[in-house]
Amino acid sequence: MNKVNSIYIIDDDPITIFGIKKMLKTTAVCNDIQAFENGKVAIDDLRKRIREGTRLPEVIFLDINMPIMDGWEFLDEFIALELKEKVIINVITSSIDQYDYQKWNDFRLNCQHYLNFKNKPIYKIEPTDLNRLDMVS
Amino acid sequence: MKTIEKTHTQYLLKQLPKATVLVGKNHEVIDFSDSWLAIFNLKAKDAVGASIFQLILDDNTESHEQLKDCLLKNRTTTLRHKKENTQWLESAFAPWFDEKENILGTIIQTTDISGEVEKELELERIKTMLQAKSEIAKVGSWEYTLETEKLVWCDVTKRMHHVDEDFEPSVNEGIEFYKQGYSRNKISMLFHNALQNGIAFNERLIIQTATGEERWVMAGGKPIYEHGKITKLLGTFQDIHDQVIAETKIKESKQLLTTLIENLPINVFLKDKESRKILVNRSECEYIGASANEILGKTDFDFYDEKVAQISRDEDLEVMRTFKSILGKETICVKKDGTTTNFLTSKIPLINLEGQAYGIIGMSMDITHIKQKEDELRNLINITAVQNKKLVNFAHIVSHNLRSHTANFSMLLDFLVKEIDEKEKERIMEMLLHASDNLLETLENLNEVVEISTNINLDKKSLNLNESVIKVQQNLSALLQNNKVEVLNAVPKGIFVMCVPAYLESIILNLLTNAVKYKDPNRKPKIELRAEKQDKGVLFRISDNGLGIDLIRYGGKIFGMYKTFHNNKDARGLGLYIIKNQIEAMGGHISLKSEVGKGTTFNIFFNE
Repeated sequence: MNKVNSIYIIDDDPITIFGIKKMLKTTAVCNDIQAFENGKVAIDDLRKRIREGTRLPEVIFLDINMPIMDGWEFLDEFIALELKEKVIINVITSSIDQYDYQKWNDFRLNCQHYLNFKNKPIYKIEPTDLNRLDMVS
Repeated sequence: MKTIEKTHTQYLLKQLPKATVLVGKNHEVIDFSDSWLAIFNLKAKDAVGASIFQLILDDNTESHEQLKDCLLKNRTTTLRHKKENTQWLESAFAPWFDEKENILGTIIQTTDISGEVEKELELERIKTMLQAKSEIAKVGSWEYTLETEKLVWCDVTKRMHHVDEDFEPSVNEGIEFYKQGYSRNKISMLFHNALQNGIAFNERLIIQTATGEERWVMAGGKPIYEHGKITKLLGTFQDIHDQVIAETKIKESKQLLTTLIENLPINVFLKDKESRKILVNRSECEYIGASANEILGKTDFDFYDEKVAQISRDEDLEVMRTFKSILGKETICVKKDGTTTNFLTSKIPLINLEGQAYGIIGMSMDITHIKQKEDELRNLINITAVQNKKLVNFAHIVSHNLRSHTANFSMLLDFLVKEIDEKEKERIMEMLLHASDNLLETLENLNEVVEISTNINLDKKSLNLNESVIKVQQNLSALLQNNKVEVLNAVPKGIFVMCVPAYLESIILNLLTNAVKYKDPNRKPKIELRAEKQDKGVLFRISDNGLGIDLIRYGGKIFGMYKTFHNNKDARGLGLYIIKNQIEAMGGHISLKSEVGKGTTFNIFFNE
């Protein structure tokens, strides 16, 4: 079991959120799992946490297709925050469009955070989706 | 007796018509005829006893030596010699004997032969010249004598037959040199006709030479009469092979060129300096709709629209002035009856040997149908590009939306299989039902879109826009009242649009609903509907004072499927996608202007 302090799930589909939460129960120990229905509410919450100096998420599950602010737009704004800590961001999509993968790769190469690409359906959460230090050690 | 005889003899000698002189052993002149004195321009008293040499010789050393030689040798001989370089004389020398055969001297008889010699020389000259001429012109000759049946060929004629110089043909042999068939039959007939009826001939025929080569010749013949009867045939024989071949080739090339120009599927014409047509081919005649004779000598002004003719005339002048060809220029030609044709025209200057332009060669290819095809093709490409874009977009939507649902099914089923807890199982089952409903709804939405996109035969009707708005307003009266919306229907009553009734209703309904959904909570919602007649259709405007959309951020996605931009629970992200499809299916288009915090205006253009 991985111990994670804070996890964000950003997805407009309640079933996916339900699924991720369910899978996390068996793989991670976390007292702070937050779900957001689009990028906008997530980034707003993050900014609030930064302002208040509370704990920031260590792992983010991020959907791409969402109304108001989609996954890519969220990533743009998230990277612009220039956080000191490296965050693991699991990009989750049902898209099999090569364009989406390409875009993910561009982000991966151009940011300091760890980016994973996960195609739906997801059946289990890998240790690397939660903790990168394990891999190094 | 002797004296008498002598006198008699002397007197006789004096009268001799032929110039005669008696010369003694010491070459002194003893006696002479008057005619001899005349030839040499002498007087009798000067001549007697004088040396013959002094009398008849002049400076011509050649003759001098020969004469001297003749006299000294005293033999019977004849000599031609010149006097004063102008006169030709012929002198016969004979020894002069007495009764006892003793030589007394020499008898010289002289004749003035200047005329003969000149004739001889002239003949020689003519012969030489004839020879030269016949060699150079390759003109040979032949002669047939009727009496002896002898045929004589000159050397040139023989050479033309490729036979040796000692070849002597018979008439039959001569005729057999002609190529079997027409040539041989013809020459036989002509030869016979000339002999029998005295008809001269000159004919082009083919011979087959001794080496088997076929050559074109010009054979001529002419009868020669003697005492009213034909005695001979004289003829010429000329090798005209190269000439005939060249002529044939020129004729063939000309024929080829004519055929080519005449049958080219493009319009060909030659114009003179004044742009009068001096040559037209069939295509040009067909295009103008007149015969070549009717066209020749006329200008474009006689057949085409004046403006078009002037443009063409200006082009002609420019080409002739600059010597620069116009090549493959797209032109439009309008005939007097208004028929318009697109041409690909070339104009090339005609330049004479002095380097002056004396007209132009023109070629025009009718590309009207190509132009039409091009336009159709461009149109088709545009349509295809739009369709393709739609299709890709749609495929993307289908794959994304259907995949997301099926992914959910897979995940939930995976959970269900592994789950032991009954309560949790129930929750998962609920989720599965929810997922199934979502999938059904998505399929319905997709079906709706497909129906619009595939409906080719739209049943468009002329609909009153104002009335259509009122109808939708009535349907939405509950929604509008609940949200306290102020609707201003400012659409002029006389405006009609060509639309599918259901589509028009859907368009107005969606836009009004959207305006209500995205109203600004801090303002009293207000919707204005306006319309105006435009060049080729009607512009319909729906403006609201709602939240507005950040066009910089969402501009490209507004009409996309499943795109929502506000936090609204009712948003399906389908309305704008569907009405855009409906409007485009009817040949119109939709756009919008919006400012966040101020409102949105949708502009819909309906095609006539």
